[in-house]
Amino acid sequence: MSGQPALTTGHFTFDGQSIPLRDWQSLAAALTEAGLRSFRQTAKGATRGIFCGMGVCQDCLVTIDGVPNRRACMTPASAGQVVQTQVAFPELVTAAVPPPAAPARVITPDVLIVGGGAGGLSAAIAARKAGASVVILDERKVGGGQYFKQSAATSPLDPQQAAGAALLAEAEASGAERLGQVEIWGAFDGLLFLAEHKGAALVARPRVAIIATGAYERPDLRPGWTLPGVMTTGAAQTLWRSYRTLPGRRVAIVGSGPLNLQVGRELAEGGAEVVLIAERGPAPWLRPLASAALALAGPGLVWTGLRTMLALRKRGVPIHYATSLDRIDKDGEALRVTVNGPGGATSVVADAVLMNAGFEPQNEILRLLGARSAYDPAFGHLRVERDESCATSVPGLYAVGDCAGLGGAPAALAEGRIAGRAAAAALGLGDAHDVFADQRSLAKARRFQRQLWKLHDVKPRLPKVPDDTLICRCEEITAGQIRSGLDERPGHAGTLKRATRVGMGRCQGRYCGPVAARLVAAETGTPIDDRSYFAPRVPIKPVAISAILAAEEALKDAL
Amino acid sequence: MRSDVLVIGGGITGMMAALHLSEVGARVRIVDAGENSGTWANAGSLHVQMQSRFMRLYPDQVPAVEASLPLYKAAAEEWVRLDGLYGPFELMRKGGLMLAESAEQLAFLEAKARREEARGLTVDLLDRGALNRVAPWLGPQIVGAELCHDEGKLNPLIANARLMAELARRDVPVLRDRIVDIEASGTHARAIGRHATYEADQILVASAWGAGEMVRGLGVAIPTKAEPLHMNITEAAAVSIGHLIQHAERSITLKQLGQGQIVIGGGWPARDRGRDCPPEVLASSLLGNVALAARLVPQIGGLRVIRTWAGMNTTADGASTIGRLPDAPRVVMALPGDAGYTLGPLVARMAAAVVSGGSAEADLSRFAPARFAA
Repeated sequence: MSGQPALTTGHFTFDGQSIPLRDWQSLAAALTEAGLRSFRQTAKGATRGIFCGMGVCQDCLVTIDGVPNRRACMTPASAGQVVQTQVAFPELVTAAVPPPAAPARVITPDVLIVGGGAGGLSAAIAARKAGASVVILDERKVGGGQYFKQSAATSPLDPQQAAGAALLAEAEASGAERLGQVEIWGAFDGLLFLAEHKGAALVARPRVAIIATGAYERPDLRPGWTLPGVMTTGAAQTLWRSYRTLPGRRVAIVGSGPLNLQVGRELAEGGAEVVLIAERGPAPWLRPLASAALALAGPGLVWTGLRTMLALRKRGVPIHYATSLDRIDKDGEALRVTVNGPGGATSVVADAVLMNAGFEPQNEILRLLGARSAYDPAFGHLRVERDESCATSVPGLYAVGDCAGLGGAPAALAEGRIAGRAAAAALGLGDAHDVFADQRSLAKARRFQRQLWKLHDVKPRLPKVPDDTLICRCEEITAGQIRSGLDERPGHAGTLKRATRVGMGRCQGRYCGPVAARLVAAETGTPIDDRSYFAPRVPIKPVAISAILAAEEALKDAL
Repeated sequence: MRSDVLVIGGGITGMMAALHLSEVGARVRIVDAGENSGTWANAGSLHVQMQSRFMRLYPDQVPAVEASLPLYKAAAEEWVRLDGLYGPFELMRKGGLMLAESAEQLAFLEAKARREEARGLTVDLLDRGALNRVAPWLGPQIVGAELCHDEGKLNPLIANARLMAELARRDVPVLRDRIVDIEASGTHARAIGRHATYEADQILVASAWGAGEMVRGLGVAIPTKAEPLHMNITEAAAVSIGHLIQHAERSITLKQLGQGQIVIGGGWPARDRGRDCPPEVLASSLLGNVALAARLVPQIGGLRVIRTWAGMNTTADGASTIGRLPDAPRVVMALPGDAGYTLGPLVARMAAAVVSGGSAEADLSRFAPARFAA
C-alpha cells in the first residue's frame, strides 16, 4: 500500500491478545487492522464495534486499563494498554476511577472557536488577523476536521489533505491556540463552556463564540445496520486517511452522495476490493440538465468528481444507481449486503459495509444556547437562523459550516472568514474589511451545493422496516416498540422517548432522535420544527463523574 | 360532554385515582395539560423518613410532615401493592440510608430517628463499622447513617407506562387540554379548558402545582407552587447500590435503578421557563449535585453522566390536601404533600374513596381543604 508507514511501534492487549499498533493510530484503527470487529456487548447480548468513527455513536466502547466505557475511535493506541471488551454492566466496586490528570484550566479568550475543521480554522485565522485572542477547541487529536481529515502520521495523501495541512499551518502561524482532544460537555447561558481536556477539567468563558462543529452522518436504518463491520462512510475514511487502516478487505458502500464515491475510490486505491457502491439517486447521465447545471456551478469540483468516477471505473468498481439498501446479514465472519435496484435484488458479501445517506448537523451547542432554527425539508434537518455575518439569534454566538445546516467545506471556509472578522469587529477589533469577495465565494459554494444534491437522494425516509429492526442503537429499541409507542400517545418525540426509552442512551438520540421527530410529525400531521426534536440537554456528550467533580472544584467559587 | 367523574391531571395521582374510580364502576375521564408533569420527570425515590433538605428549606412545614409520617409508610406499602398488581416496576425496598459526615450530623439523625420511630417507622442508626457491611463503597469521611427500612426505589418510567397501559386497557380516555377554571353548582360541576368544556357529576383535582390556581374561584386559596428541580442519570453498571442514599445536611438522593443506571437528584434547583417548555438545567446544580454524589460514593467516578433533566416538584404547606371543597362539594382535591410521587397512589386511593362515597379508611380531617378557606 502506498504511503503506508508499516512499522509497528508497540503492542497492547485486547482481551489478552497482543495487538500491534503504530504511533498515532487510534485504538479502533489498531483493532480493525488486527481483524477485530466486536468491541462491546450490549445489554441484550448483541455485539457492537466502530460505527461513526468520530465520537458520536458511543458504540466502540472498550475498557482501558480498568476504566470502563472509553471510545476506541477517539483514544490513541499506546504500547502497554490493557484493553478489554466492554461488558454491558461493568462492576462498580472494581472499576478504576481516573484521577484528575492535571489542575483545571480556565480560559477567557476574546473568541472561542468550537471545532477545528474547515469553518473553525478559517474563522480562527480571520479573528486573529483582526487582533482578537483566539482559542480553538477540537475534539480530535489531529486538527482539520472531517473534510480535510488529516493523516495522523504520514505526509498528505492528496491535494485535499495538503490544503488542510496548509490551513492548519496558517492557523498555527496566526497565533490562535488550538487544543486537541477536548470534549465539550456543557454549554450554558452567558457563554460558559465546560469541557474535559485529556482527563483534566477545562472551563471556557469567552467574549464571543463561533460554533463550527460540523455534521455527522445519517445512516440507513435497515435491518442489520448495527452489526459489527457496518460503519459510516466517514468512519472508514478516517480509518484510511488518518490511520492508513482499511476497514476490511472487501468493502460495500450504500446510501447517497459524493462522499460514498470518493471514499470508494480512496479505499480501492488503498488496496481494498470495493465490491459494490449502491447510490439511491439516479445515474447522472439520466439527469443531463441537472448534471450540466452542476458543471456550470462548479467546474473545478465537477472535474474532481469526474476523475473519481473514472478511477472507480478503471478499477472495475460496480456502481448501482437508483439502488438502495435492503438489509445486512451475518455471513460467517463476513456480512451479506442485499440491495434493491432497477434490476431487482442483488446480494454481495463484504467484510465491511459503509453507509452514508446524508448528514445531520451537530447543532447541540447551538440548540442548547437557544439559537433559533427552522426545518429544511430538502435535507431533512434543521438550519440555524443566521444573519449575513453568520451571527445566530443569541448575542455573541456565531455558527459556521455544516453545524448550521449542510453546506459543504468550501462554504464553511468562506463563512469562517466572514464570522471570524465579524466576531472580532463586534469586540471593537480589526478594521472594517470589505467582505464582498467572501460573500461572493460563499454564494458560489452554496449554488454548487444546491445543484450537487439534486443529483443525489438524501431525503430522509420514514423507516419502512420490519418490526424487529433496531431504531435506537443504544437502548436497543425496535421499530415495533416505537410503533406501539406511537399508537398509545404520540404527542411529541419527548413523550415517545419517555414511553419507549427511544433516545435515552449514550448517543443521546443522535441517530434515532431525528427518526422519532419525523415519525411523530407524520403521525400527528404537524410540521417539523426545532421543538419536534428531543429537547437539547447537557451533557452534550456523556461525561465522567470524575470530570464533573474536577470542573466543580475549579468553578466552586465562581458559580 | 358529560361523565360521572372528570379527573384533572394525568400524573401518578390522577392515573391512580382514575383506576380506582373505574374499578368501582364510575365513568371516568382524565384531562391532562401535558405541561411539565412532575410524574414524568420523577426519579423514583420512595421517601418515608423526613428529608433533611425539606426540614432545612421549609422549617415551618416540618410539623405537618412529621404528623404525616405514618402516611408515608403506608404510601410506600401502597406502591408495593401496585407493583404486585401492575408491575414489576423494578421496585426495591431495601431501605434508605441518610449519611452523616460529622458527629453533629449523626446526633441530628439520632434525634430525627427517635421522632420517626415514635411515628411507627422502622429505623436503625449505623456506625461506620455497620455501614461497611451494607455499603462498603461509601466515602471514607462518612461516620454513620440512619437506615430507614421503609424506604425504597422504583423505575418511574416503567411504572408510569404500565399504569398508562392499564388505563388504556380499561378504556379510560386521556384528553389533552389545559383546564383554566372550574365551576360548580349544587347539580353539576364543569371544567373549562382551552379547547373544550367538560361537564361531570364530580371533578377530582390532581393537577399538582397547577391546582391552586384552578380552584381559586371556589373559595379556597391553596398555595401550590411549582418547584423546578434538577436530576442526572449515568450509564449502566452492575447493580451494587441497593439503598436509596441521602445526606443528613445536604441535598442529594442517589440510587441505582434495576437496569443499572445511577440516578442522582435530591432537590437542586432548575430555572422555570413557563408552562410551555421544560425547566432549564443550571450549571451550578449539575456541578454541585454530581460532585456531591462523587464525594459520597467515590466509586461512581468512572461512570459517565449521560443525561440531565429538570422537572416540577409541587410545594404547598407540606401536608397533603384530600377531600371536598367546603364551598363546592362536587370538587374533590387530591394533592399529595411533600414527595408527591411516593404519596400519589395512596392519596389517589383516599380521594377516590371520597368521590365514590365509600367509607374513608383514615380520618381525613387533617388533610381537609378547608384549612385553605379564603
